Amino acid sequence: MSAVREKKRTSRLGRLGLLLAAAGIALGPLVALAQTQIYDAKTGKWVDYDKKKARQLYARNKQLPEAFQRQVVPFRTAEAPGTIIIDGNQHFLYLVQPGGKAIRYGIGVGREGFGWAGMVRVGRKAENPTWTPPPEMVARDPNAAKWAAGMPGGRPDNPLGPRAMYLFVGDSDTIYRIHGTIEPWTIGLDVSSGCIRLNNEDVIDLYDRVDVGAKVIVLMQGAALYKGV
Amino acid sequence: MKRRASIVLLSTAFASVFAAVGAHAADLVISAPNWPSGQATANILKIGIEKTLGLAVDVKPMGTMNAFVGLEKGTVDVQPEIWRPNFDDLVRKYVDEKGAVTLAGKSVAAWQGLCATPSAAKTIKSIGDLGDPEKTKVLDTDGDGKGEMWIGAPTWLSTGIEQVRAKSYGYGENMTLVETEEDVAMAAVDAAVATDQPMVFYCYAPHHVFQLHELTRLEEPAHDAAKWKLAPASDPLWIEKSSATTAWDAAHFQIGYSSALTAKRPEVANFLEHADFTADEVTQMSYALGVERQEPLEFARKWVEQNEARVEGWAKP
Repeated sequence: MSAVREKKRTSRLGRLGLLLAAAGIALGPLVALAQTQIYDAKTGKWVDYDKKKARQLYARNKQLPEAFQRQVVPFRTAEAPGTIIIDGNQHFLYLVQPGGKAIRYGIGVGREGFGWAGMVRVGRKAENPTWTPPPEMVARDPNAAKWAAGMPGGRPDNPLGPRAMYLFVGDSDTIYRIHGTIEPWTIGLDVSSGCIRLNNEDVIDLYDRVDVGAKVIVLMQGAALYKGV
Repeated sequence: MKRRASIVLLSTAFASVFAAVGAHAADLVISAPNWPSGQATANILKIGIEKTLGLAVDVKPMGTMNAFVGLEKGTVDVQPEIWRPNFDDLVRKYVDEKGAVTLAGKSVAAWQGLCATPSAAKTIKSIGDLGDPEKTKVLDTDGDGKGEMWIGAPTWLSTGIEQVRAKSYGYGENMTLVETEEDVAMAAVDAAVATDQPMVFYCYAPHHVFQLHELTRLEEPAHDAAKWKLAPASDPLWIEKSSATTAWDAAHFQIGYSSALTAKRPEVANFLEHADFTADEVTQMSYALGVERQEPLEFARKWVEQNEARVEGWAKP
């Protein structure tokens, strides 16, 4: 894993800052800064929310910042209950509920974003999924090379965690999955290799609520992913 | 959607069986487009005609282009929502030139342009504001300093015109224009509103998004036909060759029907000429089907029941 990319996200920070300020723990609306910050209530200071800091805070608090914790939020949409909406830019996954609500989960996404936007579906679900490292990871990482043929599920070091939901276009598996993590402090950051990661309690919760066939909408995230003109 | 697809498949299977034995010929066929209000209207017309005129009416899902072909061939009798100016090319061909299709006299006022979420509307109030990079940078989601804006689905006729407008007004220079399916864009609006994010996007009314969210329509100069110079879309370079520096022309939509109906079933032509809906009613239809997920046929039954006298009036000469 490399360090969090330093990407200017001032507009997002401003909006998310307001949201989190209301929740008590906040990302900062700091227009001049180029990376995620959170408010450290113990020291009363705003601190960079990068991988190192996220790990320190997680070790201390044993939980994610409140905004990234699972919660029911107001969410008005025309999408049917059971639909998943993934907002990689804000690091939220919404599971639409009846009555103008959604369950919102914090997510970690890829270093370069999710890579695409569009509509897919949950084509398959698996408990304790086998992890097969991609060839490029096998080539550069001796630890991954050991598991080139697949790491069995259920191991504490399996990067997919306890559950995985495989995203399909029609009947074809994409390379993308919604899965758990062995690095829960990375929720809220852009550090994975492209998939959507939830902490393990959350991925079990989502797994139990989602049916195979569920519609998944991946929102536009970053202009590079759009069909620009 | 899956259930709807299954129904379509089943209907097709049954239609084939009946065709083979020569049974079940509906008196009329109404085409249903794939947007909610069009589906509601198709079914309201079906129930209304069946109830007041005693005819058997089928509703068949199909796109507008196929509906026009069917209206000419005689396999389709009615298309419930023909949007203007969007389908003007088809109207020119089938209504003006061939005389195969007739547009009912009553129409529903419609609108299209650009909308802003409440957070965006604090900074961006008019189309002129889009040309100011200092203002549009609040719409930036990837850190490149340029705001992003959804301009429509890749297949829509309006999407190319929004490209022309962005080029002509000049904001295409400082913004990234996005094309993707409407469901993705509408979910993005939902997420933006839920977290008070700024977002600007192409929008049209009647549409249930206005029932879901408090949106601001961006101000722009009133439509001036002299300032809309669109090259034919058949020209691969039509976007570069076109220019549009005012608002869209006021839009509207009408019921279209096969001109043959006037002689074959004048009572139906009379009914369609009298059928009228307000823009508010169409928004409610869009919301009922698109958000509340009411079944179109069931919704139509209730609507006709609640508007019984009015629908009976449509059948009177």
